[in-house]
Amino acid sequence: MSKILENPHGNCALGGANATLSALRRVIPIYHSGPGCAMQTTAGEASQGSLRLPYYTSYTAIPSTNMLEREVVFGGEKKLEKHLEGALEILDADAFFVLTGCTAGIIGDDVKSVAQRFQDQGHPVYAVETAGFLGESYRGHEIAWNALFDNIVEKNPSARDDNLVNVLGVAPYHDPYFEGSLEEITRLLNKLGLRVNTFFAHGQGLPEVRGSSSAALNIILSPWLLKSIAEQYKKSFGIPSLRFAGAPLGATDTAAFLCAVGTALGKEQEVKDVIASEEEWYYRYLETGIGLQSWRRFSIVGESANVIPIMRFLANDYSFTPEIAICTDVLFRSEDKAFVTERLTNLEYAQPPEIVFTGDQWEINQALARCPDAALLIGSTNEREFAMSHGMQFFLACYPNTERLIYNRSCAGYRGALTLIEDIYSNL
Amino acid sequence: MARTYNGIRELRADTVTINDWGGSSMAAAEQYPKKCMGRTDRTFSQGLQCQQINSVMALLSMEDAAFVVHSPLGCAGCCSMANDWFRVGQIHRGSFALKNARVLVSNLDERDIVHGGEAKLREALHLAWERYTPKLIFVFTSCASGIIADDVDAISTEVNDELPYTKIIPIHCEGFKSKVCASGYDAAFLAITKYVLADEPRGETIPGLLNLFAPPTVSYMDQLEIERILGAIGIETNYIPFYSSLEKIQKLSRAQGSTAICKVFADEFMKELEDRYGIPYSHTIMPIGTRNTDRWLRGVAQIMDKEAEAEVYIARERETCLPLVEDLRAKLTGKRVFICGGTGRSFAAAALIDDFGMKLVGMETPTYDDEAQPDVEKLNRIHGDFVLDVANMMPFEQVNLLKKLKPDVFIGVPVWAARLGLPTTHVLDIKRPTMGYRNLVYLGSKIAAQIENPGYNVKIAAHAHLPYKESWYESDAFKFIQ
Repeated sequence: MSKILENPHGNCALGGANATLSALRRVIPIYHSGPGCAMQTTAGEASQGSLRLPYYTSYTAIPSTNMLEREVVFGGEKKLEKHLEGALEILDADAFFVLTGCTAGIIGDDVKSVAQRFQDQGHPVYAVETAGFLGESYRGHEIAWNALFDNIVEKNPSARDDNLVNVLGVAPYHDPYFEGSLEEITRLLNKLGLRVNTFFAHGQGLPEVRGSSSAALNIILSPWLLKSIAEQYKKSFGIPSLRFAGAPLGATDTAAFLCAVGTALGKEQEVKDVIASEEEWYYRYLETGIGLQSWRRFSIVGESANVIPIMRFLANDYSFTPEIAICTDVLFRSEDKAFVTERLTNLEYAQPPEIVFTGDQWEINQALARCPDAALLIGSTNEREFAMSHGMQFFLACYPNTERLIYNRSCAGYRGALTLIEDIYSNL
Repeated sequence: MARTYNGIRELRADTVTINDWGGSSMAAAEQYPKKCMGRTDRTFSQGLQCQQINSVMALLSMEDAAFVVHSPLGCAGCCSMANDWFRVGQIHRGSFALKNARVLVSNLDERDIVHGGEAKLREALHLAWERYTPKLIFVFTSCASGIIADDVDAISTEVNDELPYTKIIPIHCEGFKSKVCASGYDAAFLAITKYVLADEPRGETIPGLLNLFAPPTVSYMDQLEIERILGAIGIETNYIPFYSSLEKIQKLSRAQGSTAICKVFADEFMKELEDRYGIPYSHTIMPIGTRNTDRWLRGVAQIMDKEAEAEVYIARERETCLPLVEDLRAKLTGKRVFICGGTGRSFAAAALIDDFGMKLVGMETPTYDDEAQPDVEKLNRIHGDFVLDVANMMPFEQVNLLKKLKPDVFIGVPVWAARLGLPTTHVLDIKRPTMGYRNLVYLGSKIAAQIENPGYNVKIAAHAHLPYKESWYESDAFKFIQ
């Protein structure tokens, strides 16, 4: 059962599905929903990771049936059909995804049949049940991937491409650094001679989704997202998965990441060379900034996929002391909590922090108050209040973000690590 | 006198409300009074703003208040946006110890949809009380809570009896009930009437006190300018509901008059205050531009018995202001403008541009009703015929019209027009000034600067992606209005 949440760190399933699908090049979502859902999900999800709007359709440009009382009573399938006809007439897209809101979900409109009628005429129209009450943003991200798997992914891939990998688990327009981080991960994997399907960066989209079934490996950058999809790729196409707790950040975790990928794909020598040259480059910078920042105790609040890499980097590679790590995403499986806990506590030198799982602002603030020695708080817009009222330095790095514009600043790899240090320093 | 208004703007008995219409402004002004604009709808449309967003925006900056959103998580999306405005407003008001609005979402899930969410609502109300002991707890309903028919009023009343020192105020703002997002403002005020004013004895009138209703989109700079203007003619303001409080609501009955900064904000509520307490109100136009500000101020002065003072003041302000406007006029005369805005701002801005000698060629406004009729007539007199699109944005129609009309400048949300390479600027700028006499110059300079230097839009247009087929631009912009 879902929990009452104060100042939630997440939007609904519709919001998550929309942010994901509208990040694919030339894909247009069509809302079969109430009149406010396009704005609500833009205000609360798609624009609150990095302040950017999905480039093709977003906000009040999302086609929407704007279901009113009449549709609640009599059903909205006809209205949806009309809207799809209109959409096909005037919109230029490679695929349309009908996304349902609570209203359509509760009254039980058969959107799949409506979409099927258009498919039968050769139109790329797909329907996905995404009613808000089905869950939070990440649930929407998973629902979107299920829809992509069912409708777009090539089911009979010609041959395995040993140099192609899929990167999954970074939620677009949700993770504040999604695009920059995907760019940095791609840069590193390219150096190993790999081509990368990121799906949401570098102008990628449906062709990459379609071709993802011939990849050699799924690299999942989240401690728990997309488990069932990973299973399906394995079952249907024999593609194995490597799961990391987030996009690796800093020399230690990035090296471990590259080694794991290299081992899986038989590129051990290339990995050694890449790590050596990247570290040479990276540590030369670090050498020029020694002593600028004093070592600090810090607390961190955010989704586990952001909290783990940032906390581990600052603790393992930068000798900051973690006091508490609060994960705001909803983890249902105990194995997921165990994995997150292991990643947050298995540190090289530092003492492990206290770990809390909650997305409720009151509980977050109560937990933060248990750590009066922390001088730095890393979190979302919601946590600035606590930092200011407790005389702490505040650094905004997590969702939701209503303050920082982030185009392609990354929070991954070697470059992201340098950027993070710069940002924390400049934010003093 | 008991008023029976239920908060749904399109159901008001005394006016016809049109939400979907497109054509010539002259035709509109001619057809509306004859009731022959037709009960039209769009067979293709883009996302609207739901009334819940307006209810939330109106109230989220109230002091000593907590907010319960009875919905799945998504419907609190607007709270995140409104909380951002709230925090920006705090900084503008000199408070750097930022506070978040306290928003608890009942987080309805699949199980609640089947079994009902009343238990969760009850729990959320208790949590809000235990955590913050607020004086006011506002409850916002949602499409989901409305369709499953949770008895929000009953739960609110019951819990209110269990909790001391607080008022629980349920607001019926289910999105599916209205196409007009401004209904959400009315829903908020109706609830305040029912749950706060009903219990309040009428206070003694304070001469010179004016209830000044302002939507949350009015920037602090604009609040200061309006208060400065009113202060100069001896009017004190009770500014409601932005950064307001229970005490200010309780003071409502003591005012000598009421007015609003926006035409669709608190207009029905001001009628209520007149019925209930005999407080007269002025309802004219948004004070953007000298002409509108004159008209707005004269309206207020009339009900506050400050007409002579107002005339002296208007003359003095005009003397200061007009030479500055003249400078801008030289740069702006003859420029063709397309405006897209909320009901209040679009009409006010359309009149304002005449101050600068600009010509209106097209306008998008969300609703056409009795209030709009005189405004459109007036604009027709000033600008002649122009294209009128009764739409809450509908970007697909907007870009179609812009491609054909090729205005020199677009005023409104710039996301789409900028991609056509047009100079763009805002009149709805919650972070900067727009209103009154002195801010007019700021606004005019902003427009002039963009016309002079459109580099960003011109360059981005060469690489931008709008999702429409080329054939759409050749089609009738209003073909889906049937």
